Amino acid sequence: MPPLTMRTSSTSLWPSAAFVIVYAILRGIAPHAQSAETKLGFSFTNVAREAGLDVTTIYGGQQSNKYLLETTGCGAAALDYDGDGWMDIFLVNGTTLEGFPKGQEPTNHLYRNKGNGTFEDVTKRAGLAASGWGQGACAGDYDNDGHEDLFVTYWGQNKLYRNTGDGTFEDVTSRAGLTQTRARWGAGCAFLDYDRDGRLDLLAANYIDLDLSTTPVPESGLCRYKGIPVACGPPGLRGGKNVLYHNRGDGTFEDVSERSGITRAKGTYGLGVSTLDFDGDGWTDVYVANDSNPSALYRNNHDGTFTDIGVGSGCAYSQDGKPQAGMGLAIGDYDRNGTMDIFKTNFAGDTSTLYANTGNGFCEDRTFSSGIGFNTRWLGWGVGFLDLDGDGWLDLFLVNGHVYPEVERIKTEAGYKQRKVVYRNLHNGRFADVTEQIGPPVTVAKAGRGAAFADFDNDGDVDVVVNNIHDPPDLFRLDRTADVHWVSLKLVGTQSNRDAIGALARVVTADGEQRQEVRGGGSYYSQNDLRLHFGLGSNRAIDRVIVRWPTGREETFTGLAIDRLHTLKEGGGAR
Amino acid sequence: MRAALACACVLLVCASAECQTLQAGAVQSPTGDVKTTLASARKLITDGNAKEAIAKLQALDTSMPEVGHLLGVAFYHADDHQHAIEQLAKVRDKLPEGSTERREAVQVLGLCYYLTGKYADAVPLLEETRRWAEDNLELGYILGMAYIQTRQPDAARRELARTFGVAPESAAANLMAAQMMIRLEFEPLAEAELKRALEKDPRLPRVNYLLGQLALFRGRLDEAITLSERELAISPGDAMTWYQLGDAYLRQSRWDEAATALQKSLWINPFYSGPYVLLGRVYVKKGQPATAEGMLRHAIQYDPNNRTAHYLLGQVLQQAGRTEEAKREFDIAERLQSPGR
Repeated sequence: MPPLTMRTSSTSLWPSAAFVIVYAILRGIAPHAQSAETKLGFSFTNVAREAGLDVTTIYGGQQSNKYLLETTGCGAAALDYDGDGWMDIFLVNGTTLEGFPKGQEPTNHLYRNKGNGTFEDVTKRAGLAASGWGQGACAGDYDNDGHEDLFVTYWGQNKLYRNTGDGTFEDVTSRAGLTQTRARWGAGCAFLDYDRDGRLDLLAANYIDLDLSTTPVPESGLCRYKGIPVACGPPGLRGGKNVLYHNRGDGTFEDVSERSGITRAKGTYGLGVSTLDFDGDGWTDVYVANDSNPSALYRNNHDGTFTDIGVGSGCAYSQDGKPQAGMGLAIGDYDRNGTMDIFKTNFAGDTSTLYANTGNGFCEDRTFSSGIGFNTRWLGWGVGFLDLDGDGWLDLFLVNGHVYPEVERIKTEAGYKQRKVVYRNLHNGRFADVTEQIGPPVTVAKAGRGAAFADFDNDGDVDVVVNNIHDPPDLFRLDRTADVHWVSLKLVGTQSNRDAIGALARVVTADGEQRQEVRGGGSYYSQNDLRLHFGLGSNRAIDRVIVRWPTGREETFTGLAIDRLHTLKEGGGAR
Repeated sequence: MRAALACACVLLVCASAECQTLQAGAVQSPTGDVKTTLASARKLITDGNAKEAIAKLQALDTSMPEVGHLLGVAFYHADDHQHAIEQLAKVRDKLPEGSTERREAVQVLGLCYYLTGKYADAVPLLEETRRWAEDNLELGYILGMAYIQTRQPDAARRELARTFGVAPESAAANLMAAQMMIRLEFEPLAEAELKRALEKDPRLPRVNYLLGQLALFRGRLDEAITLSERELAISPGDAMTWYQLGDAYLRQSRWDEAATALQKSLWINPFYSGPYVLLGRVYVKKGQPATAEGMLRHAIQYDPNNRTAHYLLGQVLQQAGRTEEAKREFDIAERLQSPGR
């Protein structure tokens, strides 16, 4: 197999970290950041403002919230909507109970990546200026036309936008058969090909069957957090049921939620959604982080149905068998044992949960043994596995912020706005919290919610865009300062769905094998980069890349150069 | 909580039939018909028919302080605290100073504010009630809790010391305040109280245990172990501290040390399910599923509604391929699941 053509170079068009450091030293600032970088081998810079991401996300009341509806915030999607090889950003927006005068409503925003470190707001031109109680977003080429489509969830009516290929989207919700008979609280979502027919289906979680007219308010005195009246729920409110839509291949979808067993989950109050192949059988499974309930691990039964095996497999509760307030999800093989592990963010006063996939159908809760069990102050939302320093081991980035604005009155709490948490993988099953070592910008407190993980500057590492409540977004550009190598892969299906969602890539080098999957959904309410990014450490050569496509077909690619992006086409080899 | 408060209200203001008569008689302005209705409504409230009393009282002129007052009390007894607050806030200052009605209005209004989470509003009213009910334990408890909720640790300590019969400036008072702060999940306040208790009396039992519990909750496992060991140096026969020490070792994956501490806990108190559950987890990790199963079945024997024990037993059985038995345990665990954070 000949070497494959790279789509982009490894040269970033954003100012380099080295330049930033030198400039900072000359100005006599940031010695802390400099020393941290030296030790860590990476740094973050928040480039949101310079990049042009400047629109504030509006979501509920700022000082207090009457309903839980005002707390969940919004997701983010990384997608290359114009096919230029640069990942664009879609940020969901919300509203308030009071609403806005016509024409002044906050809208979702699509930012086109100009490839020079800046983004252009193309929302109106793209036809995506919708308003409402926006929640999550996921991307996928459901009609296999080569253009990424977009699904946006709402409290109300979810929307499917078809990418026409000329820079615009059309709202095809009704035509696609996705109109709901009643308002629902759509949450996390994911495109997936669960029946291996080469077409992307769609799964959307539903959080609460919310009826504002019957929901108790804080003044009722029924709902308190540490003595302070707060928005009620989710306990006491009727939980939503997740939905699965089967892609008929003619531009329409069929609701197969009941028939597929998706509605027969043990728990409810679904939030974050991600696809994964939990049991390594080549069929796409789904994990849904449930709030205050056992989370769902939907095992694909290969016959169009799913079974929630979360409880039985030990992947649903805390290690004490208690339900947690699941929010966001990261999936990855952090211990490099060849199986996909699950990391779930939870409520304040609790830990996040790290479920190690033992490979025999069970999760082992390694929250404490991995060294992350001491962090109980933060309330987590978006989260991702990413290789910060390029050493070939997956690290973790968590976005935090309290649910209740009222906690500002409690001095002993971590606050409504909270800093991020960054864990470095120590290669021995343990993580170290390096947040303070990194310092700003990750220690700057925000009310974070959704976060999408993608290589926005095509330099081979994964950056993070965060959707904050009542604040403009953050764009954390990651720069590696250590001398490490990398490879990125864009998988293109031909028999499989074109995005290759569900594919598994194994990169084999002298020091072993790394595995990553192309996944629908992820994080909290968000869509991560569909391309795969591998840190290679000091490896200067790739032995081979083995891809198992969503159809089950396996292909081996050899002769791939390091430090570049390769496009691997199913059955076509090099391009 | 609701039952205890209602009880306190009755104890303080209207404990007897004489009281009812007195109150009805104390009303000066109402006509005879109104007086009769008020007396009848009061009896309905006392007999547990607050909703009927509300209906009767709403048929009267509720702008009359005496009617508004009793209507507020009726709403309180009907668990409608919001309407009780509306009524009582309107009439409280119109009732004669020092009258039984005024005292009842102040007290019930304070309780309603407390029950609806308006602790800052509740405190002055409960303090006012305290002046004429100095020895009432229930009031002391509620006021102490309200002080914690409004983050007044010194006042809370004084009030709870009186309630629990310890000297207000003693280490024991700090300990009691901390205990209640932990109950209300005000851990940082509790930690400060416990540290003050240790300064005053380093050998006071339970202080190191509770500090260890807070450390364990925060995932500070080395600290939890040290504090548990300090507690055991003072109270070597405390089964709960051995249990806590075992828990901390377990979270550090120190299986043998965890097993030893948990076994000691069980030798002291073999009837508590907690150590059996943790031993179940230890033996799973040590690759001894049969022993783990035995421990978990012991836990269930002593605490049949222990959801964690059923869940972990389900996992042990599932991993052993005994899927039907596992399913049964998972189903029980699911039934026992209580929602809520």
